[in-house]
Amino acid sequence: MYLTSYLALAAILFSIGLYGVLTKRNAVMVLFCIELMLNAVNINLIAFSKFGLFPNLTGQIFTLFTITVAAAEAAVGIAILIALYRNKETAEADQYNSMKG
Amino acid sequence: MEQYLLDFDLKVMAPELVIVSAAALLSVMDLFLKETASRKVIAVLSLAAVLAAGVFAVMGFGHPPYQILGDTYRIDSFSLTFKVIILAGTALVLLLSLHLNKEEIETREGEYYYLLLTAVLGGMVMVSSADLITLFVGLELLSLSSYVLVGIRRKDLKSNEAAWKYVVLGGVSSAFILYGMSFVYGLTGSTNLFVIRDRLMQALYSGYDLFVYLALFLMVVGFGFKIATAPFQMWTPDVYQGAMTPVTAFLAVVSKTAAFALVMRIMLIAFLPVFSPQISVGVEKLLMILAALSMIAGNAVALKQTNAKRLMAYSSIAQAGYILVPLSTLGFVLFPSLAYYLLAYLFMTLGAFAVLDVVTREGKNEELHVFAGLHQRSPWLAFAMSVFLISLAGLPVTAGFFGKFYLIINAIGREQHWLAGVMILTTVVSYYYYFGIIRQMYFRSPASLRPIPVPWTAGLVIVVGVIGTIGLGLLPDTVLQSLGKIDWGSGFDLAKNAVRQ
Repeated sequence: MYLTSYLALAAILFSIGLYGVLTKRNAVMVLFCIELMLNAVNINLIAFSKFGLFPNLTGQIFTLFTITVAAAEAAVGIAILIALYRNKETAEADQYNSMKG
Repeated sequence: MEQYLLDFDLKVMAPELVIVSAAALLSVMDLFLKETASRKVIAVLSLAAVLAAGVFAVMGFGHPPYQILGDTYRIDSFSLTFKVIILAGTALVLLLSLHLNKEEIETREGEYYYLLLTAVLGGMVMVSSADLITLFVGLELLSLSSYVLVGIRRKDLKSNEAAWKYVVLGGVSSAFILYGMSFVYGLTGSTNLFVIRDRLMQALYSGYDLFVYLALFLMVVGFGFKIATAPFQMWTPDVYQGAMTPVTAFLAVVSKTAAFALVMRIMLIAFLPVFSPQISVGVEKLLMILAALSMIAGNAVALKQTNAKRLMAYSSIAQAGYILVPLSTLGFVLFPSLAYYLLAYLFMTLGAFAVLDVVTREGKNEELHVFAGLHQRSPWLAFAMSVFLISLAGLPVTAGFFGKFYLIINAIGREQHWLAGVMILTTVVSYYYYFGIIRQMYFRSPASLRPIPVPWTAGLVIVVGVIGTIGLGLLPDTVLQSLGKIDWGSGFDLAKNAVRQ
């Protein structure tokens, strides 16, 4: 019972994140939505490490790794966005369309 | 015998240790060099490090599989072969980058080289891991370095946009892979691939099969992004166009090879129970459909491309489809044919990108008509490009022909005739656009008759590419047999020194 509600919360967060990545126009919001998806994974891992079929600590350790990597990814994403903003002077992701074909 | 975490023979990790120490030392060295000083010395040292790592990797062959670091990392013939391919590709990319001048990378020259080193380190961790956590960390090390490499020309709008698209879609695909991994962990309580294999079998038979398929599906979506198969290929053309040509070559060859090794490890170790005949839910079918879709989409959209790098991007999507054929059919010559094709792909793709680099640099244009009349300007360059294109198209006496032939054998051997049919048909379609470039080179008149200057480093890459492409094509059986002698099975069995027996 406990596990289902945690999994449902994670699934909802993941879906909101995916929806946001696909529809948001603001580039910063897009990066936030990726973070939402990654945090959904963390909730899943922690829930499984407590209530999974084989509960153990590995899931929490995995979470530490994903949190660290997600931070690095956010840093790189923001850095690229700043470089892009300096050239394009807009943070609207749908304006980033100079390449077509 | 009690085993400690770091109680192992350090020599087995020599390639990784060489690369990681080179990356660390060179980044410090870059700080201490004068702002105006040339960074060529960093380039040469990183090339030397990659070559040294390659030598260590070759020396590692012939030993039984060996697991270290609490069974998370393994050295076996499978990982060593992929490491050699990855390191060879990186060495050629570095050689190709040597003539980049400072203006092109906007004084970020030092960074460029050690980011390449960290990227290749990520690739090596990916191909050697036997644990979801290390696999994920390796994948992210490769991806994060690639994001920066794509966007390294900070003042170039296209480069920025390419990096942005890559980081967003790469982040989404990582999230999908991780979400899948979290379900795998939930079902098995472990991140070790071998433990997962045993416990997934139990999970499948005790009513959790839907979760297993959900995890598999999420991971396939994520991997689809990483290896650029249709329908997850939308980032590829933009990223390939916006990045510098050597970086594009790196993404096309090294990242793709490493991602394929990762997919094979996860599919053939952790998800092996799903492939067993008693289950037969059609996981193979799913992979086959992905392969067929990428062949069709890649080759069809490439027909109307006018930008040379976008054309190569769609071509690489189609190639990803071809490479998926042996894995999805689990054919009889899966590993030798795959390794042969990846080698052929390495030589012909890097060679083609090297020619593309010198030609587009001289023409200051990436449209296909920069190739016009190349035959009259630099006949040898035109000849080399023709060899690479003929090989990419898969016509005889080149590596590409035999590579595709061996791939098709897998499909026919498993009686998947429709997949072989799709492969042959799309290959025929691909002749049109590959020969479009050859037509430009031989039958169009050039804008000027000036020969194209070829720096010796790029020339060396082109020569290696031509020798590799024709050599593999002349001696296909010898190469295939020696690849067949590699002990591939050892990559998928528990090593003798494993902690958990």
